[in-house]
Amino acid sequence: MDDYVVGVLSNIGVLAFLGLSAYLLLLTGEISFGQQAFFAIGAYAAGIATAIWGWPLAAGLLFGAAAGAAAALVVGVPTLRLHGLYFAIATLAFAEMVRLLFELLRYQVMIDGELVGPNGADGFRDIRYVFQNNIEPQQFLLVIYALLVAVLLGFALLERTRLGVSFRMIGVDYVLAQMHGVAVARHKLIAAGLAGALAGLGGGLYAHLTTYVEPRLFDVMLGVHSLAYGLIGGLGTALGPLLGVLIDIGLLESIRAFAGYRMIIFGGLVALLLIVRPRGLLDEILVHRIGGAWRRWWRRRAAKEAA
Amino acid sequence: MTILCRRAVLAAALWCVPVAAQAAETRAKADVNCQALPTRLQYDCTLRLANARTDEPLSGATVRVGADMPSMPMAHNVRPVQATAEPEAGTYRARLTLEMHGDWALRIDVTGPVRDRIVKLMRFEPGRAEPSPRSR
Amino acid sequence: MIDFVQNTIDGVMIGSSYALLALGFTVIFGVMRRLNLSYGPSIMLGAYFGTLLHIQFGAGPLAVAAATVLGAAIVGIYVERLCFAPMAAGAGIASMVSSFAIWMQLEQAAVLLLPRHTYAFPPLTDGAALTVGPFLLRADQLVVLSCVLVLTAAVHVGLYRSRFGLALRAIIDQPMAAHLVGVNVNRATLCAFAGASALGGIAGYLVLAVDQQVTPMFGMWATLKGLVAMMIGGLGSIPGAVIGGLLLGLIEAHSQWYLGPQARDLVVYAVLFGFLVLRPGGLLGAAPAGAMPVAQPRP
Repeated sequence: MDDYVVGVLSNIGVLAFLGLSAYLLLLTGEISFGQQAFFAIGAYAAGIATAIWGWPLAAGLLFGAAAGAAAALVVGVPTLRLHGLYFAIATLAFAEMVRLLFELLRYQVMIDGELVGPNGADGFRDIRYVFQNNIEPQQFLLVIYALLVAVLLGFALLERTRLGVSFRMIGVDYVLAQMHGVAVARHKLIAAGLAGALAGLGGGLYAHLTTYVEPRLFDVMLGVHSLAYGLIGGLGTALGPLLGVLIDIGLLESIRAFAGYRMIIFGGLVALLLIVRPRGLLDEILVHRIGGAWRRWWRRRAAKEAA
Repeated sequence: MTILCRRAVLAAALWCVPVAAQAAETRAKADVNCQALPTRLQYDCTLRLANARTDEPLSGATVRVGADMPSMPMAHNVRPVQATAEPEAGTYRARLTLEMHGDWALRIDVTGPVRDRIVKLMRFEPGRAEPSPRSR
Repeated sequence: MIDFVQNTIDGVMIGSSYALLALGFTVIFGVMRRLNLSYGPSIMLGAYFGTLLHIQFGAGPLAVAAATVLGAAIVGIYVERLCFAPMAAGAGIASMVSSFAIWMQLEQAAVLLLPRHTYAFPPLTDGAALTVGPFLLRADQLVVLSCVLVLTAAVHVGLYRSRFGLALRAIIDQPMAAHLVGVNVNRATLCAFAGASALGGIAGYLVLAVDQQVTPMFGMWATLKGLVAMMIGGLGSIPGAVIGGLLLGLIEAHSQWYLGPQARDLVVYAVLFGFLVLRPGGLLGAAPAGAMPVAQPRP
């Protein structure tokens, strides 16, 4: 496969984690502008684990996900009482604080005659696990998508369990959910932790994909992007954020011909799309209809075979 | 545990263990010099690649140069271009067409005798390009 | 002691610009109950129009100011028509993401207009500084402060003493009820948006004239400052926006002096986070009654 295509697909895969992270919180009815903070924490944690401490990739990614989850709980607890815009701005404030803290973080270790590690605003370069262990870009792409498929399967399972239904109940009306006996606070923390872990995992993959991260990457823009992926692709299913990332990056790549005007076209298209489909392409109504049609087709086929 | 299960666990464990260190890992280093071309947002970049340890120029490598804006990853990135080898050993040229002026992170992917990726932060303005003031 | 007072003066000076940004932001938020992420970028595009005039035709400060304000207002109308007007009442997030998409559009438009990373912005005055005792006051900063006071008074008068202001306050309270008593909600919202963007345009012009340079990052900066000032002062409260802006300026000036420029932004966000966790209503706003400030059903 062409290196360029592999690169684009890898980007799509990694950003899908970020989109899914924001999507999970959107399910519980909360808008988060701060998932990029856990993305950053995952990136730095996984990078430090493999580049400085010499851990294997799997352990590094796990560490990144765990760090993301832990940070998400740290911010989740004080913001439990907040809703809507207040919660959104609180997550934004937290994310900016994390970014600024990374600009101050300096943790460098001399390895093989070179300084390796995060160096404040200059960023964290030489996260070279992929190169040191001769992992081809195609192999890393496989790793990214294997993990992504596992996560999507997890989401599909989640929608069928009590936990997933509770999440959606809280998202629609948390007061009503509470009256039905759903432990809202606990569920919100679980959602926050899972979302943080997802973003952390994505961040770890991103760090190893690009080998260089700096605090500037993880600004508000990235955070609003993560929200936009879910909104564009649709909030009805976990495939929505993935579709959103595909559309975003795919569209951007395909209108390269309009070199200087890409953003203008893209921004306009997204705005128009949202007018027509405010909950995204694969919104709940469409997913419900597709699900219904599928079930009817299946039942008709079963009836035909029985006859 | 079934045989399959045992094999799966063994495979996972092997994947987790870092591959035994191969021969002393070679790293590349690059010197980048970019000149602005008369057409807007186009730059001609000359790269001098060398072995980071021995300082010996790296010839015969396949070099691809891509660029991304640090402040907006993947929004303004540049499609990687193949750099052409110059007669002088270890020197390559690539023409970059950027989307915007400002700070860009050049991503130099080297395959061939050495496999490595070098990231260089540069600031591109109309008419000139220089290493970003913040980079090493 | 002298440092403290000087920093306080500096803080109030820059804080007045923040107050103006927050004022425009609050008017939009109060009327729409939705976040407009294109607020800063529309101001920036207006400023770029002004800069273009200055560079191409050597226009003076007044012409540049007029271009900035007009440009910001026109772009604000564009944003309103595309991102907010067509959306149904419940689609708050969609409007926000739409305004974000337009933010990226506006940023690219600005860069297409003027490709360089930084441009010199014409200053307000010759930069003469006044010294009052041991304290330094810049003439242009004083102009900014007086403009802010005048504009805040004007907004207050506009809101509380005019028919349009009455209509706006009715819409802020209950859009459907306002419609039922004969207020043209869509038109009033559009005018409010244009007015708020124009206000932002003035604020942007004043900030840039003091700073004397403009970059494409100004859009995000202005949105963030307006947002933070508004949240600290109290969501949806006009006096709160002003006080929030001044407080933000003070916090910035003092933390920059004692802790350095990097820690300054950190402190600001920590304060914002603290406010949201402990007192979400900000200084003057009412504590939120649990539910999100939702957009009310609109006609």
